[in-house]
Amino acid sequence: MDARRATTTVPRVRQVGFFTPNAPPAQPSRTHSFPLDSSSPPLSNSPVNNSLSPVMIPPSRHLSDNLVHRATSPLPVPEPSAFRRPIRSHHVAVVGSYNPTESLLGSSPPLASPSSRVIGDGEFSEESSAGWFRRSNSAKFASSFSGAFDLTSVMSSEAGGFHQVKKPVIAQPKEEKSGAAAVVEPQINKGLSSSSTKPLKEKTTKAERRALQEAQRAAKAAAKDMTVSVGVSTSKPVKQQPAQKKDAPPPASSVAVSDRKGVERSMEKERRKDIPAPRMQFDDKSRVEKAKKRAVVNQSEARNRVELFRHLPQYEHGTQLPDLESKFFQLDPMHPAVYKVGLQYLAGDISGGNARCIAMLQAFQEVIKDYSTPPEKSLTRDLTAKISSFVSFFTECRPLSMSMGNTIRFLKSRIAKLPLTFSESEAKASLCADIDRFINEKIVLADNVIIRHAVTKIMDGDVLLTYGSSCVVEMILLYAHELGKQFRVVIVDSRPKLKGQALLRRLVGKGLSCTYTHINAVSYIMHEVTRVFLGSSSVLSNGTVYSRVGTACVAMVAHAFHVPVLICCEAYKFHERVLLDSICSNELGDPDALSKVPGRMDINYLDDLTNKDNMQLLNLMYDATPSEYVSMIITDYGMIPPTSVPVIVREYGREYLWI
Amino acid sequence: MLSQDFIFDGCTILVHGFSRVVFEVLKTAAQSKKLFRVFCTEGRPDRSGLRLSNELAKLDVPVKLLIDSAVAYTMDEVDMVFVGADGVVESGGIINMMGTFQIALVAHSMNKPVYVAAESYKFARLYPLDQKDMVPALCPIDFGVPIPSKVEVETSARDYTPPQYLTLLFTDLGVLTPSVVSDELIQLYL
Repeated sequence: MDARRATTTVPRVRQVGFFTPNAPPAQPSRTHSFPLDSSSPPLSNSPVNNSLSPVMIPPSRHLSDNLVHRATSPLPVPEPSAFRRPIRSHHVAVVGSYNPTESLLGSSPPLASPSSRVIGDGEFSEESSAGWFRRSNSAKFASSFSGAFDLTSVMSSEAGGFHQVKKPVIAQPKEEKSGAAAVVEPQINKGLSSSSTKPLKEKTTKAERRALQEAQRAAKAAAKDMTVSVGVSTSKPVKQQPAQKKDAPPPASSVAVSDRKGVERSMEKERRKDIPAPRMQFDDKSRVEKAKKRAVVNQSEARNRVELFRHLPQYEHGTQLPDLESKFFQLDPMHPAVYKVGLQYLAGDISGGNARCIAMLQAFQEVIKDYSTPPEKSLTRDLTAKISSFVSFFTECRPLSMSMGNTIRFLKSRIAKLPLTFSESEAKASLCADIDRFINEKIVLADNVIIRHAVTKIMDGDVLLTYGSSCVVEMILLYAHELGKQFRVVIVDSRPKLKGQALLRRLVGKGLSCTYTHINAVSYIMHEVTRVFLGSSSVLSNGTVYSRVGTACVAMVAHAFHVPVLICCEAYKFHERVLLDSICSNELGDPDALSKVPGRMDINYLDDLTNKDNMQLLNLMYDATPSEYVSMIITDYGMIPPTSVPVIVREYGREYLWI
Repeated sequence: MLSQDFIFDGCTILVHGFSRVVFEVLKTAAQSKKLFRVFCTEGRPDRSGLRLSNELAKLDVPVKLLIDSAVAYTMDEVDMVFVGADGVVESGGIINMMGTFQIALVAHSMNKPVYVAAESYKFARLYPLDQKDMVPALCPIDFGVPIPSKVEVETSARDYTPPQYLTLLFTDLGVLTPSVVSDELIQLYL
């Protein structure tokens, strides 16, 4: 948010072509942690600067629209991929082969920069001075980042040719470096372009990709608030685009710049539509990034993307699992516990906010226990870098939920606040204890408190409705049943996941009387319901509840029938963000799941249609329920109205960070 | 004191039953020579409305008595509704004498503001979801004629007014909107 605010206050200077940046050193506030520059870091780091979890996708970024960038993986994450990035297409160069890149680009030692970048992106302002110093290094190395960041790569590609057009927060030396990098790039491009045409590469031809690149570049030019690191941008093209693209953009940019961003967007979208290949940038980027970990460039079937949701990471996970599994023993930098949890996310074995958080924290505990500080490194910085790299891995397995973002922020702040006098073992023990305490206080005990509060709202003779399968709601129902209350339960379920069936099984097994129905019958059944209990993935500052898709529908129908809706949510899931709709930030699931019905092979009406251009399958995972449909939120701080969420965030947000 | 700004000359105020706080508000306003008139509901079964109208008449404030059912009928002429509260709950709603909810509902549908005068010690950490979600407070109702034994009588003496029907609360903490009540409660109790 800082960046956003900052960007609006500083006047934008539209300059076309080459020029010397005469603009004042822009937003010092913005650059405090990532002086690297102008571009991506500020934007991507802004969320970080705001002490938003680094994995939170700021919706603001979507202003730049056109990019098929992964909303969830802001810049800070890429350091580890920075290593792998240069490897690019070569899946062979997977493990530990940092050398080829370095030799090619002659950049600064990989270790220094990524960690510096990581530091930079952390919320540690004390690093700022160091950051400034490392700036040059990072800049140099940035050029070697062949779009290490999914999103920046896309952005950078556009920015590539005409970084000057961007908000000039660039210092002079930077300019030259970029220039130099730009020169270096073409050669690298050519050198590596051959390698980039892997056997398993996309169906799209280079020309198509190039065309798309130009289109996006043009749009990029107009997108002023896209501040992408110059270095990064210039490096981005290294990935696949031949050098010619560099020449094309400048003239294109001059045209593009004159347009307003909105027009740009539509123009660019049209161009994109003309190009048949769907998931270009995003595809390649993620391919390459995963190349290190996943080894194989898995050719997911080209899938039509829905326009409105292009800003979200498209679902590609279906085919990754077997490859990941086979790679288990080959990934040095990855900790086995982290890898395991990542696989579980990918396969969908662990789902539900609490379960994912706990699994992640326990994996991090293992990491910390096994961690030993490399010589001449500071524990806090290196450990934070490692954690960030693991977080990026998790993000690729499955985009992080908001509660996980809060958790990671907590962990990083704990690491940062380790007293310097601690020895390594003391620090590790303290961190593990902190994690244990977090899990205990914020999740386990919180759930107990929530259950205690919630059962006071259940009377004899009630008919309780719940949607999907929330662990907290299940505990509430079981506890109320144990207390001897007479009530019955209506479970509303929905495809494709049909999570409610598992809940139904467990409740019936415990002796509750249940009714099961699908969401299309919710208005039919609502007249006999007295209370609605819902779980949530997160509650936002304006009282909006962000939860499994379908929740908003159930809440709305309940509201229309004047049935009170109770949301059960632990306080660590509260977030100071505000969402106005379900589009800005969401997660896309497997579109194929929509067309398949398990166990019924004869229902295959959509089988032939998925490849058509005018047919797009959209499988959203989350939706936002407005606060007016919510009667009460039950948290570990008690029962509060939805308007009081920012109060809790304000009063207690600091508490667990600064314990 | 805070509420004096909200009473303007020539306004018509509807009050329900007898509330000390509301009475003080009106007394202060009368003593500062404001010109206003008061509609007072009877407030069955307590008949507290009669008491209030007596007191107000002594202050030379023009008072008009209504039966409880006449509230909607006279709501057109009313500028604002003033009620007290037995308790202010966490959602920002109030628990008050039976009939308050009805008046608030009518006022809301006719776009008349509903003001609540309550001290902060009345804030409670309750959160009723509906009318029945509270500890029952019963009081006998005398209909004046014997009631056949087979007929049930609703004897509850309190009702709950949800926050969306209230406009402002005047408390010693200041003039608050209903959503701020929870904020205050959190700061007080947590």
